Amino acid sequence: MKLSYVLQRILHTLFVFAIVVTLCFFIPRIGVEDPCERYYPSQGNMSDEDYEVIKQLTREQYGLDGSSWSQYVRYIRQLLRGDLGNSYQAGSPKVAALIAQRLPWTLVLSVSSTLISLLLGILIGARCAARRGGRGDRLLLNASTITTAVPSFFIALLLSFLLGFQWEVFPAYTDQNMVSGFGWNWESLGTVAYNAALPVLSTVIGGIVSYAQSTRNSVIAVANASFVVTARAKGVPRNRVVYRHILRNALLPIITSLGMGLAGLISGSVVIEQIFNWQGIGTLYLEANNNNDYPLMMGIMIFMTAVALAGNLIADFCYVLFDRRVTLGRERG
Amino acid sequence: MKKPKRMAEENGGFLRASGEFLKKIWDNPQGRTGLILIGFLGLVALFAPVLAPYDPYDVAMRDDKGLAPSLSHLLGTSITTGQDVFSMLLYGTRVSLCIGLITGLAIGALGSLLGVVVGYAGAVADTLIMRVVDVMLVIPTLPLTILITNVFGKSYVVIVMVFVLVGWPSLARTVRSQVLQMKNNDYVKAAELSGAGKGYIMFRHILPGVSHLIVMSTALTSAGIMIAEAGLSFLGLGNPTTISWGKMLADAQSGGSVLFGQWWTILAPGIGIFLAVFAFMRVGLAVEEILNPNVRRQSQVRKLWKHMNGRYLDQVFASMEDEP
Repeated sequence: MKLSYVLQRILHTLFVFAIVVTLCFFIPRIGVEDPCERYYPSQGNMSDEDYEVIKQLTREQYGLDGSSWSQYVRYIRQLLRGDLGNSYQAGSPKVAALIAQRLPWTLVLSVSSTLISLLLGILIGARCAARRGGRGDRLLLNASTITTAVPSFFIALLLSFLLGFQWEVFPAYTDQNMVSGFGWNWESLGTVAYNAALPVLSTVIGGIVSYAQSTRNSVIAVANASFVVTARAKGVPRNRVVYRHILRNALLPIITSLGMGLAGLISGSVVIEQIFNWQGIGTLYLEANNNNDYPLMMGIMIFMTAVALAGNLIADFCYVLFDRRVTLGRERG
Repeated sequence: MKKPKRMAEENGGFLRASGEFLKKIWDNPQGRTGLILIGFLGLVALFAPVLAPYDPYDVAMRDDKGLAPSLSHLLGTSITTGQDVFSMLLYGTRVSLCIGLITGLAIGALGSLLGVVVGYAGAVADTLIMRVVDVMLVIPTLPLTILITNVFGKSYVVIVMVFVLVGWPSLARTVRSQVLQMKNNDYVKAAELSGAGKGYIMFRHILPGVSHLIVMSTALTSAGIMIAEAGLSFLGLGNPTTISWGKMLADAQSGGSVLFGQWWTILAPGIGIFLAVFAFMRVGLAVEEILNPNVRRQSQVRKLWKHMNGRYLDQVFASMEDEP
C-alpha cells in the first residue's frame, strides 16, 4: 500500500470528522437561543435576580458562557483531549463516561446478532445458490420480500407480544438487575443471554435473510468463473466446489462490507433497544433527547461518526489489501 | 444500459422519457402489482373521511376502549382512548403516502439535479458538493434526525426537510458516476460539437439518460422514508398531533396492548406499513427487471434493501453505490 494513499485517506477522514463536529456543535446553537431556558423552563418562585444568577452559574458550569466562537474553541480543545464535556444529567457526569458505560450493552446485542445472521446467512445463502430454483431458494425469495417490507420494530413488537407475553418464553422487558448485578460468572452471562434473546432475535430475522440473499447472489455471480468449471470438470463434488472454491471468493465483498457496517453496530438498534428497554447507546440517546441534553446528544453523534469513519477507513484498506486489482489512490466511481 | 441511451436519443425530453418508463413499469407484472396497490392506497388516503366508519380522532368513547374486532368495530378499538382502529388505519395511509411520496420526489429531484450538474459541469462545484456528500453519508442518520426535530420542532415540514437533507447525497453520488460515464458518449460529443450549450445538453441529453435511476430511486426512497417515518413516530418523535401508523404502534406499545393481548392494535398498522412499502418496492423491482432482464432475480434492489429495516436509511443509500 502506498504511503501517500494512506495519508490522503487519513487526511480526508480527519477533514470530514472536523466538519461533522462543527455541525453537531452549531445545530443546537442555531435553533436553541438559550439552553438554560430549556434546562430551567420555569422560574418557579425564584426572584428575577436569583433566576439570572442561577442561569449564569449553569452557563459557566456547562461552558455556555461567552460567544459561540469561544465556546467552539473550548469544545474543540476539550475534544482533542478526548473530553466530550459534561451531560446535563443530575450530577453532571462526563459524556464520555456515560457512553463508555452503555457501549458494552449495545455491543452485546449488535455483535451477537451480526455474528449469528452472518454465519447462518452465509450457510443458507450458499445452500440456496447450490440448489438454485429449489424449494429453499424460493422460500428465501419470499422471505426476503416480507422481511424487507416489514420494519424490524414491528417484528420486535410481534415477538415481544408472542414470545414475551403470550407464551412467556423470554422476558419482554430487560431485567435491570442484569446491568447492576453483572459479574463475570456463568450465572450473569446466562441472565444476559436470556434477556438478550428477543432483541437479538428481532434483528437476526431480517439479518439472516439479507445476508443469505447477498451471499446467494454473490455465489451465483462467481459460479460462472472458469476456475469453477475446471473444478467441476476434474470431478470435484458439487458441494465441495460450492463451499470451498466459490464461497471463498464470493465472500470478499461481504467481508469488506462488514467494515462499512461497523457504524451500524453502534447506531443500528435504537428502536429495538427502546422496545425491550435495553440500556444501550440508543436508549441513552433517546433519554438525552427527552431531557434536551445537548452535550450528550452531540457527544454520542460525534462518537458514532468517529466509529463510522474508522470503519470506512478500515474497509477501504482491507479492500486494497485483499483485492490486488484495485488501483491505488484513484477515486472509485 | 442500452435502453436509456436510446430513449435519450429518440425522445429528448425528460418528462417524456419518464412517462415512457412508467408505461414500461405498467407492462411489467411486478410493476403493475405495485402501481395498482399504490393507486388503491392513494384512493384510500383520498377518501378516508368517506370510508371511515368513525371519527379516528374521537377519543370520547372511553367506555369502548380495548374492544376486540367485531362488526361494529372491524378492527377493534385502541387500548387507551377507544378510537376505532379501522378508521385510524385508513387515516394513517395519508401520512405515510404523503410523506413518502413528497420526500421521495424531492430527493429524486434534488439528488438528480445536483448529480447531473456536478457530474457534467464539474470542476469546483464537483469537489465542493462531493465533500458535502462525504460528510452527509457518514453522519448517523437517525440521531441527526432526532437532534434536528428536537431543536427545530416536530412538524411535518421539518421532518420532510430532514429526510431530504439526509437522502439526497447518495442519489447525487450515484447519478454523478453515471453521468461521468455518459459524458464520453458519441451523442453527447456530437451535441457539444454542434454548439449546444451546457444547460441544453444537461437537460436534453444527460437527464433523460438517468431518468430510470431517478424513477427507481424515487420508488425505493419513498418506501424507505415510509419505514423511517413510522420508526420516528413509533419513538414518539414524529408529529404528535396526527394519526400515523407509527404513532398507532407507539400508542399500542405504551398503552400495554402487548401485555393485555390486544393483537389487533399492533397487527393493523403493521399490515398497513407492509402494504405501502411492499407496493413501492414492487415498482423498484420492476424498474430493475426492465433494465437488466437477464439478471431477473440477482437483485441490486435487494442489495439496496439490505438491512434497511434495522439500520434505517443510510444503509440504503450507502449500498446504492453498488449500482454500476
